[in-house]
Amino acid sequence: MSELVDYLSSQWREEAEKRLKSELSPEKMNKITSSMSNIYLNCPDGSQKYLLFRFENGELTELSIGQGQPPKAEFQITGNYEIFARISRAELGSQKALMTRKLKLKGNMVKALKLAAIADRLNKVLSTIPTRY
Amino acid sequence: MTTLPDDNDLYFIDFPGRIKKIQTAMQEEDLDVYLGSRLRTLSWTLDAFCPWRSFVVIPAEGLPTAFTFVIDAARVADDSWLDEDHVYGFAPMGGQDQIEQISDFILDLLNNGKGRVGVETGMSNYLPEGNLTHYEYEQFDAALANAELVNAHTIVDRLSMIKDPGTINRFREASRIVDIGHQAVFDALQNGGYKDISETEIAGIAALAMRKAGSEWEWSFTGGNEIASGYRTGLAGGACTPATRRKIQPGEPLMVDLHAMFKLGLGDHAHNYLIAPASDRQWWHANNFIDIVKQTLKTYRAGITPSSLAEEMIGFAEQRGFADYMVPGFEHGIGLMGDEWRIGLNDGPFAYWTNPDHVYRENELLICAMQYACPEENIGFRYENPIILSKTGCEALSAYPLAIEEIK
Repeated sequence: MSELVDYLSSQWREEAEKRLKSELSPEKMNKITSSMSNIYLNCPDGSQKYLLFRFENGELTELSIGQGQPPKAEFQITGNYEIFARISRAELGSQKALMTRKLKLKGNMVKALKLAAIADRLNKVLSTIPTRY
Repeated sequence: MTTLPDDNDLYFIDFPGRIKKIQTAMQEEDLDVYLGSRLRTLSWTLDAFCPWRSFVVIPAEGLPTAFTFVIDAARVADDSWLDEDHVYGFAPMGGQDQIEQISDFILDLLNNGKGRVGVETGMSNYLPEGNLTHYEYEQFDAALANAELVNAHTIVDRLSMIKDPGTINRFREASRIVDIGHQAVFDALQNGGYKDISETEIAGIAALAMRKAGSEWEWSFTGGNEIASGYRTGLAGGACTPATRRKIQPGEPLMVDLHAMFKLGLGDHAHNYLIAPASDRQWWHANNFIDIVKQTLKTYRAGITPSSLAEEMIGFAEQRGFADYMVPGFEHGIGLMGDEWRIGLNDGPFAYWTNPDHVYRENELLICAMQYACPEENIGFRYENPIILSKTGCEALSAYPLAIEEIK
């Protein structure tokens, strides 16, 4: 795929799902069962969106995008759209964004620490999608 | 591994039952959430040692959740009876600093952010007490803007005053370990072994023996094992002597105050020596001290008060001519790690100090603590021992024989 797709569009979601399923095996995902929602504040159209990931035994069982408040997830990361975009473009590290209060994590951080490497793997795959922000 | 309460265990404490008692008291005081921050509250509710700034949030119903510095959260979860879903780590990250993490957690427990939240404030002579700081209070107050913060530490103070059998057994075991430390010190000192030994070395000899016997650490914030030799034993009113590099000298007194911890139960026993040659005058002081300790242990029982005991004992010392050397206090409070200051509740004439008219009750645990100091003669002694009060007397948990030996 070489055409650019709009970030958080339905085409982007389909591409993300395809790549995550093909590139991250349950073993690479440490067979985790967890869920995480990214909440995008101040999107270009002025709305609030979410991106929800749900894994069961390491398999991606749900990747959904929506408007407003997301369904309940084990972890919730909130920040401005532009911050998530900068992270996806590898201009900003997610850890630095958290440490400088650009992102807010809700959930048990001890568990989150165990999943940090997995989240990095996931972000790395998403960053390969040719995206228009 | 998370330790689930096992009621066949000698050291069993019903922690879920404790939480339910707190929740009943919360209901009586119309509290929706209890935010504990004192070390004594954390030990009493979590069954884990929390050396870093920590908190426990107790909802109106259900399990509590602990919050501690992220570097120690997994270990606290491992030691505690709570599972990892109920132990959170905080760190300087968005949404994860202690104020935001805990206030978000509490907001989820409140109805539209409204309600009454019990907190722990006040003051203490014990530095690691853990009351909310002014800054923490202000920040929680702002983050929980629609809730009312209410000082509620009396709930835990009241519930933790009378000790259950598991707690007493933990103290009993910690005291047994302290006695092993005292034996190791005696063995090291006798037959000239005291020569060229320093106070810090004595503290270490005891620490090694007690650790071998299972002590978790020399818990006292006063410097671990307190050792005083020579003039340091007689510092006026002095009852705090972290060990120094001072070498033990012939003809001097030596005070050895050891601390061991077993499952948050605390051993605390002081024993005294005279390093030969001991003078008749030194023996006069030593015998005075032993006699008043015996008299005090004979007098302690449920029904008396700190002031009535002090009056009686100072009267005894006056009669014998050594009242000038007695520090007029005969106890300090004790409970699971972090509970080491006043006796009873905060209901005396001086806020957050022992109420001199507190009436002791059966199964109250305290440290019988006495200090004899004669600075002008460079001599003094200390006695400390956890005692359990009964209707008719007290049981001293440390069984090391009460005496002052002359070490040759």
